[in-house]
Amino acid sequence: MTIAAIASLVIGLILGYLGQRSRLCFVGGLRDFMLIRDWRLLGPPLAFALTAWVAFPLVELAGGRTGASFALPDSITLLLTIIGGWGVGVFSTFANGCPFRQHVLAAQGAVSSMAYLAGFFVGAVVFHLLVVPLLLHMLP
Amino acid sequence: MTIRHGVQKWTARWSGRAHAVTATPVAIVAALLAVLAGAFFEIRPPEAYGICMACHDRDLINWLLNAYAGMRLTVAPASAIFPLLTSVGVVIGAVVAARANGEARLSIPEHPLKGFVYGVLVMNCALLAAGCSIRLLLRAAAGDLTGLAGVGGMAVGIMLTTQYLTWRARQ
Repeated sequence: MTIAAIASLVIGLILGYLGQRSRLCFVGGLRDFMLIRDWRLLGPPLAFALTAWVAFPLVELAGGRTGASFALPDSITLLLTIIGGWGVGVFSTFANGCPFRQHVLAAQGAVSSMAYLAGFFVGAVVFHLLVVPLLLHMLP
Repeated sequence: MTIRHGVQKWTARWSGRAHAVTATPVAIVAALLAVLAGAFFEIRPPEAYGICMACHDRDLINWLLNAYAGMRLTVAPASAIFPLLTSVGVVIGAVVAARANGEARLSIPEHPLKGFVYGVLVMNCALLAAGCSIRLLLRAAAGDLTGLAGVGGMAVGIMLTTQYLTWRARQ
C-alpha cells in the first residue's frame, strides 16, 4: 500500500511534467473537434483508450493483476454513471478543461484553477457527507 | 549550464520543438502508466484505478480528515493505509515544467468563485460516476460497460455544452 502511494507520486510527477508541456486535456479534444472539425484533435483521448485497451490483456499475460471482471451494471448504477459522466462533460467544458488539465493550470499560476482545486477538495467532502446520504435516502 | 537550460534542451530534443510536446504520445504514456500502476504497483482495488484525478483527490482529502480530524469518510481500499499522491505529483511536475520553460505566471480571473463552483460540481459528478474523464476512459478500456456508458454521457455533455457556448457567443 505504501508502494501504491510512492508509485502514484512518481506517475503524477511524470504526467504533470509532460502534461504541462503538451497541454494534454481529455475534454478539450472533443470540444475543439466540435469547433473546427479536425479529427487529429481527438487523438489524445482515443490514443489513451486504445493503448489501455491493448495494454490490459498484455499486462495480465505478463503476470500483472488486473482482475478485469466487471459485473453487469444494475439500472440505477448505470443511470447514475451516465448522469455523472454527463455532468463531468458539461461542467469541465464550462471550466475550460478536464480535472487533469485544471491541476496543471493551477500549477502554472492560474488562480481560477486554484479555486477549482479548492472546490474539488471541498466537493469530495460534500459528496460523502451530503450527497451520498441524500441519494441513499431517495433511492429505493 | 543551469538545470533550466538542461531541461529546455531535453524537452526540445524530445519533441523536436522547443515549446510543445504533442499531446497524443503523452496520452499513450499516461495509459501505459495507468495500466502498469494497477497491475504491478498495488494501485487497486478498485479495478482500473491507476489514474483518476477525482477519486485520488477524494482519497487524499478524506484520508487526511480521517487521520487528523477524526472523521470517518470513504476512502478506496488502495488508499487505506496511505493515500494516493497522484495529484500532488501532477502539481509538482507541472510547476517544475512551467518554471523550467518560463510559463509560470500568475493570472487572476474576474470571478475566482466560478472556478470554485465548477470544482465542486465536477468533483460531485465524477464521484457519482466513479471516475473523472481519465478513469472513465480507463474503465471503458478495461471492459467495464458502466464505464463505457459514463464515457458516452461525458461525450454528450461536452458536445451539448460546446454547442450551447458557440450559440451564446453568436448572440
